[in-house]
Amino acid sequence: MTAETDKPGDSEGKRRKPKRQVSLARRLMTVATVWSMLALAVAGIVLAGLYRAASERAFDAQLGVYLKTIVANMVPDGNVAGDSDAEGDLVRKPQGLGEPRFDLPFSGWYWTVIDHASNEVLFASPSLVGDMLQVGQGDRQEPDTSYFAIGPAEQEVRVRRLTVEINGNNYDIIVAAETDDFREDVRQFRRLVLLTMVILGAGLLGAIYLQVRVGLKPLKRLGGSLIEVRRGLAEKIDEDLPGELAPLAVELNALIHANREVVERSRTHVGNLAHALKTPLSVITNEARSTEGEFADKVGEQATLMSTQIQHHLERARMAAQRRVIGVSCELTPVLERMVSAMSKIYRDKDVAFDMPDTDELSDLRFRGEQQDLEEMVGNLLDNACKWADLEVQISVAAVSQEESARALFEICVEDDGPGLSEDQRLEAVKRGKRLDETVPGTGLGLSIVADLAGVYGGEFELSRSDKGGLKATLLLPSV
Amino acid sequence: MRLLVVEDDADLNRQLTDSLVEAGYAVDTAFDGEEGHFLGDTEPYDAVVLDLGLPKIDGLSVLENWRRDGHKMPVLILTARDRWSDKVAGIDAGADDYVAKPFHMEEILARVRALVRRAAGHASNELTCGELRLDLRASRVTLNGSPIKLTSHEYRVLSYLMHHQGKVISRTELTEHLYEQDFDRDSNTVEVFVGRLRKKVGSDLIETVRGLGYRLGEPVDG
Repeated sequence: MTAETDKPGDSEGKRRKPKRQVSLARRLMTVATVWSMLALAVAGIVLAGLYRAASERAFDAQLGVYLKTIVANMVPDGNVAGDSDAEGDLVRKPQGLGEPRFDLPFSGWYWTVIDHASNEVLFASPSLVGDMLQVGQGDRQEPDTSYFAIGPAEQEVRVRRLTVEINGNNYDIIVAAETDDFREDVRQFRRLVLLTMVILGAGLLGAIYLQVRVGLKPLKRLGGSLIEVRRGLAEKIDEDLPGELAPLAVELNALIHANREVVERSRTHVGNLAHALKTPLSVITNEARSTEGEFADKVGEQATLMSTQIQHHLERARMAAQRRVIGVSCELTPVLERMVSAMSKIYRDKDVAFDMPDTDELSDLRFRGEQQDLEEMVGNLLDNACKWADLEVQISVAAVSQEESARALFEICVEDDGPGLSEDQRLEAVKRGKRLDETVPGTGLGLSIVADLAGVYGGEFELSRSDKGGLKATLLLPSV
Repeated sequence: MRLLVVEDDADLNRQLTDSLVEAGYAVDTAFDGEEGHFLGDTEPYDAVVLDLGLPKIDGLSVLENWRRDGHKMPVLILTARDRWSDKVAGIDAGADDYVAKPFHMEEILARVRALVRRAAGHASNELTCGELRLDLRASRVTLNGSPIKLTSHEYRVLSYLMHHQGKVISRTELTEHLYEQDFDRDSNTVEVFVGRLRKKVGSDLIETVRGLGYRLGEPVDG
């Protein structure tokens, strides 16, 4: 059986967890990492492209030198626009270009001279071994053009074609060279770029990680400080924070302070109200009881009703004031010892033996809440147990680990060897203002106050039958 | 038995006093902490009913001061602040019991009775001396089972002697615990009450110890 309590307090412990947002650190890391990697990749691609273009230009320039040498060799007496030579030819066969690969068969380096008008091959390098250089001519309208093609021996070649006019005739001079070296060069550069980018990327990732860690450290400290305050281990948040966060800490501290003041004021007000109302009520009740007659009976009856109502609403007011207290906790052991000592004095006539747990083992246990509330709960449980016990009241305490909940809890169990309660009586006992036996003094609110207070702290209160024969009251409360 | 009631509410103070007087006690009253502290400090009370919310000096401080000065009389505190923290604070300060307001007078009477009885070392609400019985709950005296009619002063003398059986009680002590503070005391009247009591309960129960006082005890044969 679990005590029914009002929703606000009850919901605190059981409210549904909101979907967890991605952490700030992860967001920063992800965005910075994706952006850096993208930038590095683009930079790598652009660099490789630029290098390839530059390499092509340099290769073309090299081919251009050969073209010019061929042209210079073709012109009789070196005069492009001059007369024909002694044999009457318009051009001469180019000789000795200074590149031995043009003379080696299928070396990958070729040249050929074609008559532009007739498309007839006039001269070709010895490396072609009489074959024709079939690499196309690119855009025929362009006098100077470069392109890639597949040459003899199925090799990829870079082709440069130049159309020149010598002695009134147009000639297409084509030089082709294998691209293996050029390609290898570009590939090597790409590998270098990739390696550089990987190293740079790793360095950047490290820098991002450090930046996020160091940058978010004060935020983490603020969070830790807030947790300590909430758990009651610290009174206020540490304000020694960077400029951006310090005002937040100051405001939070002001809020905590205001919260405590409001609670303190409410408590004083409730106490004063209690005093102001209860003394006249005592007078009315006793006056009515000592007077005979119907009127006196009515007054007495109503005064008792008022008293119960006042008691109940004062408790509610106290709880409403206490529910929002931030950052309070208290040690369990001194409260237990103090209450047992008080009970021993109050119930000394009954000579009840208290079976206490080993307080040394419990020295670490702290209740996350107001000491007064813990005293109220423990006091009511012990008071009830002492009222009904024959000889013995047993108190046991244990820390509880809850798998499903992240909250730390502890359990206080108070058992007596008295007559106990039936199932129905146990249900009734935790309802407000119920007194099962009017012959034993008390307001009848004790166990229901315990149930309400336990609810306020998101705890649980349960009554069951003790092995000792009497009542077993189990209280589950949050610990620090 | 003489009691002190410290309560600032005049009506409640009157009700408490009336009920306690009716139950056979001599009762002094105080309406603030200062007056209450003074009386408790100077008069020998058998028990004190002390409200915690008092003007001038609060009840808790009054109690602490008494205990610090070595006064051991049992104290019942009345408190409107009925949380266990308040009750325990009272008990820690030296109170022997507490009653939360609003209360029924029967509860106060029962608690006071228990405090006085306990302070004198008795476990039961029925005090006996031979065939003489004093029922504290009903304020009734019987001898051999037959009720004996006593005046209030006779009852107070007998009650005090019954609570302190076997001890020699001086006339002064008896007088101090018999009358209220402002009563015109005359220790000779004690002798008159004792004389009347002897006639009602038997002359051999109350022994006169010459020069010291009286002692109540079972008569020793021979």
